[in-house]
Amino acid sequence: MSKKLAVIPQECSGCKICEMVCAIKHFGVNNPKKSAIRVLITYPHPVVRMPIVCSQCKKPPCEQVCPVDALRRVDGVVTLDTHVCVSCFHCVESCPFGAIYAHDDCEYPIKCDMCGGDPECVKHCPKSALRLVPEYALGESKRLNNVLSYTQMKEIEFVEKGETKTIHYAEIGKEQI
Amino acid sequence: MNIKGGYFRKHLHVDLTTGKPERRDLSEDFIERYVGGRGFGAKLVWDNLKAHDFKLDPLGPDNLLVVAPGPLTGAYVPSSGKNSFVAISPATGLYGDSSIGGAFGVELRQAGLDCLSITGAAPELSILFIDNDNVSIIEMPQLKGKTCLEAEGIIKERLGSHGVHTATIGVAGENRVRFACVNSDWSRNAGRTGIGAIMGSKNLKAIVVRGTKDLPVFDINGLVEETRKAIKYMTEHKYFRLWQQQGLMNVIEYANEKGILPTYNFKATTFAAHDKINGETMLEHYKIGDSACFMCPMCCGNICLVKNGKYAGTVTEGPEYESCAMLGSNLGVERFDAVLAGNKLCDELGVDTISTGSIVGAVIEGYEKGIISLSDLDGKGIAWNDDDAIMDLIGRIARREGVGDILADGSRRIIEQWPEMEKVILQVKGLEQSAYDSRVGASMGLAYATSDIGAHHTRAWTIAKEIEEGANWSAEDKVNLVMYHQSVRPLFDMLGVCRLPWIELGLNERHYEKFYSCVTGKTTTLEDLLRLSDDVYNLTRRMNVRLGATRRADSLPYKVRKVPVLTGPNAGKTLDEQEFEKMLSLYYQKRGWDKDGAPPVEIEAAF
Repeated sequence: MSKKLAVIPQECSGCKICEMVCAIKHFGVNNPKKSAIRVLITYPHPVVRMPIVCSQCKKPPCEQVCPVDALRRVDGVVTLDTHVCVSCFHCVESCPFGAIYAHDDCEYPIKCDMCGGDPECVKHCPKSALRLVPEYALGESKRLNNVLSYTQMKEIEFVEKGETKTIHYAEIGKEQI
Repeated sequence: MNIKGGYFRKHLHVDLTTGKPERRDLSEDFIERYVGGRGFGAKLVWDNLKAHDFKLDPLGPDNLLVVAPGPLTGAYVPSSGKNSFVAISPATGLYGDSSIGGAFGVELRQAGLDCLSITGAAPELSILFIDNDNVSIIEMPQLKGKTCLEAEGIIKERLGSHGVHTATIGVAGENRVRFACVNSDWSRNAGRTGIGAIMGSKNLKAIVVRGTKDLPVFDINGLVEETRKAIKYMTEHKYFRLWQQQGLMNVIEYANEKGILPTYNFKATTFAAHDKINGETMLEHYKIGDSACFMCPMCCGNICLVKNGKYAGTVTEGPEYESCAMLGSNLGVERFDAVLAGNKLCDELGVDTISTGSIVGAVIEGYEKGIISLSDLDGKGIAWNDDDAIMDLIGRIARREGVGDILADGSRRIIEQWPEMEKVILQVKGLEQSAYDSRVGASMGLAYATSDIGAHHTRAWTIAKEIEEGANWSAEDKVNLVMYHQSVRPLFDMLGVCRLPWIELGLNERHYEKFYSCVTGKTTTLEDLLRLSDDVYNLTRRMNVRLGATRRADSLPYKVRKVPVLTGPNAGKTLDEQEFEKMLSLYYQKRGWDKDGAPPVEIEAAF
């Protein structure tokens, strides 16, 4: 696997189509709560819509905490072997991004498998907020994300009930990645 | 059984007086005939009305509030995040409903419910928390006086979960302002017909839901195939990108150009400063993000931030066209930041932007004309484009301070107080008119007049066709189109999906018969579904007749009939009253209603 799933939060509208197509692909059910990707929304301070999905870490904390070695990085994808998994869900809690999920109905943790290299969420995102980026371009993508989130992040001051506050925001829709 | 999927067949009924939730089963016949959403609501509200011998105080404990998503809500169907709130409206005293986007309805469905009904009144300000199969009523007096957004934050903190979805009311709902709305997911609103006041009268500050269940979809593969086709069509549409960027804000320019934009309380229908409040201005200076309802690729919601000036720091989702027109051009407001601040204020206080904009506009004109005196306004004058005075008045309405106490009871009460205001205020059945002028042609007038909830465009929106066809369009064609809209548009509210893919991008309504068939397992045709929708229309009409509505209730505002438009392509026009009356008679005749607009009493037996 030479491609990585990149998230561009500025483009996300929060429609949750990614959640739905993930659940349908992996469980065959109409239930966005059974997906390996979730959109987290905070509002109004700060305004963020961000899909959270496995980064396929090279030193995955989930792999490290798994007591039975059910999680292994195979061909660039951290893969859960359900034959080995004992469903302790330690991996869910160990993930620094909270990108592994649990559901009452499911015996095993719900973990992104990159759909074998052609992720459904990327194919169906109507805003192209999810993209498949070649691994060699990964640094580039990160740098661009940094540019978007820092150099273009603007700051203004305003007064609310006599108290001066600052708010940050990013310009969107003017730069193409 | 015809229906093999799509429903949990569960109805949760909560009596807030006794504090007892009760689970009821929904029969095959009920779900097949009434489909969901507005259909379920109309039937349950009708049954409740009958049980109370058609005498019901809309703000009393006996008014049943029905919260109903549809069978397609939350399904893998484009724009499937809709949910209806149905009750007897405190604004009109007649049937009322209002729908909401976001994901509240999806969550309700995932909690295993097809329908929720609420009666009674809680002794203390409370929230109703539905956590999958667990239902609790939690007293939260600390929410008193909190804005919708504050309340949502406090509730999420108290429940320790970011993942719940809420429908809250603001201080206006608590104060039973008759055009109070219900706010969900921070900024989506069920605005019309005063549903928020009903929640307030029940001491119910919020409905909070968490659901994690699979939706019962009969044929998921068939549904995926059909939805992919529909979404492909939508995303390839030439205006798709415009919708993503501007949402409904693109309508401002269209409405101004065609002369239907409410300006200075509909005195004019073009606005000289339209370019200061249009979609381009929003994109250039204010928009910081997109917001979509569940499963919607169009993401018509705009998140805006005011970056400088006296409203700096204002973050709000919206405004969409109606809010922008009613709080902008209709009040002569020439600055977009003030429109945003007004929109946010309405969201926070929990009042409907359309009715608020209409009533404030009428007050400004009434004051200008001397109908309303300075002392009537508690010594605080108000004028077009005076954003400070406008915001102040909106606040006084929500808090029922001074003159706000009268205005909060809506246009009927205003006309009672100042009879001359009848010539100024635009309303049908007590519901203030939404943001399309109908003097350009009688079909939009007919749409407002015969809508079961009052002067709102939700049931029929024929204005674009009216403008396109001009004088060549026969009265019969107009009536037919209004009737077709009144069949198909409520159908979306019954299925629990948004109509924008159809009305704005031209997505063929045939898709919806396939969506319905795949989800429920019942093979059907669009025509069959439209017949079900017509049945509900007859039911709501029958309900209104029982509640005292006659042909007179279908008459249009004085201004539309008598006062010519001042500016733009429609300058000098009023609605052709003779044509309108002829069309109304023809409409009744085609519907099989009598001369007074009443459907035959016999049909009651069928419900």
